[in-house]
Amino acid sequence: MSLVFLEDVKKSYRIGDQEIRALDGVSLRIEEGEFLAIIGPSGSGKSTLMHLLGCLDTPSSGRMEICGRDLSSATADMLADVRNRELGFVFQAFNLLPKLDVVRNIELPLIYSGISKNERRARAEEVARSVGLGERLANRPTQLSGGQCQRVAIGRALVNRPRILFGDEPTGNLDSSTGEMILEMFRQLNREGKTVVLVTHDPDVAAVTKRVIEIRDGRIRREYKP
Amino acid sequence: MNLLICLETGLREIAAHKFRSFLSMLGIVMGVSSLIAMMALTAGIEKGTRAFMQQIGGLEFVSIQNKEISNALFEFWNLSPGRTLMDARALMAAVPNVSHVSPEMSHGALVASEFGSDRKGVRGVWPGHYVVARHELAAGRFITDVDGDQASRSAVIGDDIAKKLWPALSPTEVIGRTMTINQSPFVVVGVLVRYEREQDKRMRTILAAQNKQRAGQPMRGRGSGRGDPFRGKNESVFIPLSTMFYEFKSGLFPDDSVETVKLETLSFRVADLGAFRETLEQVRRTLDVTHRGVDDYDLETREEWFDRMEQSIAATRLSGGLIAVISLFVGAIGITNIMLASITERVREIGIRLAVGAKGRDIFMQILIESVSVAFIGGIFGVAAGGVLIQVLIIVAPTENVPVMTIGSVLFSVAFAIVAGIVSGIYPAMRASKLDPIEALRYE
Repeated sequence: MSLVFLEDVKKSYRIGDQEIRALDGVSLRIEEGEFLAIIGPSGSGKSTLMHLLGCLDTPSSGRMEICGRDLSSATADMLADVRNRELGFVFQAFNLLPKLDVVRNIELPLIYSGISKNERRARAEEVARSVGLGERLANRPTQLSGGQCQRVAIGRALVNRPRILFGDEPTGNLDSSTGEMILEMFRQLNREGKTVVLVTHDPDVAAVTKRVIEIRDGRIRREYKP
Repeated sequence: MNLLICLETGLREIAAHKFRSFLSMLGIVMGVSSLIAMMALTAGIEKGTRAFMQQIGGLEFVSIQNKEISNALFEFWNLSPGRTLMDARALMAAVPNVSHVSPEMSHGALVASEFGSDRKGVRGVWPGHYVVARHELAAGRFITDVDGDQASRSAVIGDDIAKKLWPALSPTEVIGRTMTINQSPFVVVGVLVRYEREQDKRMRTILAAQNKQRAGQPMRGRGSGRGDPFRGKNESVFIPLSTMFYEFKSGLFPDDSVETVKLETLSFRVADLGAFRETLEQVRRTLDVTHRGVDDYDLETREEWFDRMEQSIAATRLSGGLIAVISLFVGAIGITNIMLASITERVREIGIRLAVGAKGRDIFMQILIESVSVAFIGGIFGVAAGGVLIQVLIIVAPTENVPVMTIGSVLFSVAFAIVAGIVSGIYPAMRASKLDPIEALRYE
C-alpha cells in the first residue's frame, strides 16, 4: 500500500472567467521511507501539487489517497485531521507564531489532536532537544536565528509523529551553510525511516534526495534519480 | 482543542494588545455599568414604594364606602341604617378572616394647649384602628378597650399636633399633659411617630448635618406640603369612639344611640391575604344583612392602586433596562468591529493553525472565546463602574430613593455582557473559521 497514491489528478482554478489548469493529469505513487524532491519553475504547478499532497486542498478530478485514506473529495475537517496526524510541514518562511515560545510553537499540532497539557509539554520539549534547541525552550522566534527558527519548524512538523514530512523550499530563507545543516537534518530523518518530500526549484536541494520528480505545465515531465 | 487553551490564547491576545482590548471593552463597561445603575435605581424606587405601601396599611387594608343608591331603589333608602357600629360588630363576629375593624366618628374641633391651638378633625376610634392603619407610637400607648368602655378622656395625637401644642417638648414629655378639645380636657396618652417619605427623612438628616447648630431641632412644617401622603397621619387626634359619641355626637343626634349613629369611616384589616376574595364576599353578605339588603356601600381595596404602582415600577424598569441594553448592544458592535480588525491582522496565524491541523470549529471557538473574554472582563469592570456610578447618583441626588445594588442585578448584567460577547464574536469567528488555509498562509 502506497503512502501517497495519485491517479490522473487534475486541478483547475477560475480567475474571472478564465479557467487555469494548474495540474493536468498527474499520477504519482510515494512509498513509505522514500526521500523525494518535486522540482519545477514557478508557475509549473508544483505548488499546487504540494498543496494537494499536503492535504491543504482537494483535486478537481482524479483519485487521491494519502496514508490509506481516499481524499478525492474530502471535507475540510477530514483534511485537517490528516494534516494534523499524518503530515508535517516545514515552510520557507518558517511560519512560526511570533507570540509563542519554542515549546508552545512545537506543541501546536498536539493541541488540535486533543492531547493533555502535561504530555504536550513533555513531547514538545523532547522534540525540541532532538532538533538541538534544548537550551532555547522559552525563547520566542524573534530571539532566534533563521536556522534555529527552521529547526523549531521541523520540531513542530515532527511532534505528532507524522508519516510524511513536507518541506516547501525549506532552505529558501537561509544562508547556504545553515541550509546545508537543515538539509542534513532531513537526510538524517529519512535515514531513520521518515518519508520526506521536498518541494524546491533549487537543483542542489533536489540533489540530496533519492528520487526527483520534475513538473512542467501541470504535468510530470520526467522522473530521475540524482 | 479544549476551552482552557482557547481561554489561555484569548487572554494572551487581550494582554498583548492592552489598549485595543481596553477600547473594545469600553462599550461593554459603559453598557454594564448603566445597566447596573438602572437596575439599582428601579430597585430603590421599588423599595421606597413598597415601604410606602406598607406604611399606608398595605393590601390588607379595606375601607367600606358609602355609595349613591340607584334611582330604582330610591324608596328603600330609608330602610338601611347606613354604616354604623352594628356593621363593625357584625363583621368582627361573622367574618373570621377580618382581624381588626376600625369604625370612626369624626368631629371638627378646636384642639388647644397652653402653648398653641388649631382646628382639626378629631377622630373617635376603636383600639383596632392602631392595627388597621398601621400606626406606630413614638411614646405612650394607643386607645385601649378600657378607654372605650369607660369613655375616658384620653387622646393620642400625631407628631404635627404634638409640635403645634407643645413646640418645646419631646413626644415622651407630652405624655400625661392635658389638652382641650372644644374646651373639654383630654389627657394625651400617646404620640405617634413622625411619618415621612424616605426623601423627606433624608432631606432632614442632610439639613441637620449641614446645619450643626440646628441639628436635633425638630423640622417644623416639613412634610405638610401638598402631596405628602402622611399629612393626615401626622395631624391625627384620636379619642375613644364612645367618648366621641357621648361628648360630641349625642347632642347632634339626640335620637341615636352609639350603636345607630352613622360612622364617618369604616375600615377593616384582612388577616390572610390568601383568602382575600372570599373574605370580601363574606363581608358583603354580612353587610347586606345589617343594611337590610340595600346596596348603599362599596368595598374599596388598595389592589388597583397598588397595581398601578406596580405597573409604573415595571414601566420604569423596562424603559431603564431598554436604554442600558441599547448601550450594551453598541458595546457589542464595538467588539465585533475590533475582532474583525484583529482577525484581518491574524490571517497568517490562522493559516498556520489550519496547516498544523486546526479545524474550522477550533478557530471559531478561539475567536469566540476571545470576544467573550473581552466582554466578560468588560462586564467585571462595568460592575465596578456601576458601583461607582451609584455612589455618584447618591451624592448628586441625595433625597431620591437610595439605589439598591443586588447580587441578582450584578449576575444579570455580567450574564448579559457574556451574551453580548457571544453575539459580537459569532460573525468574526465565522469569518475566521471559513478562511482557506492556502490563501491564509500566503497572506502577508
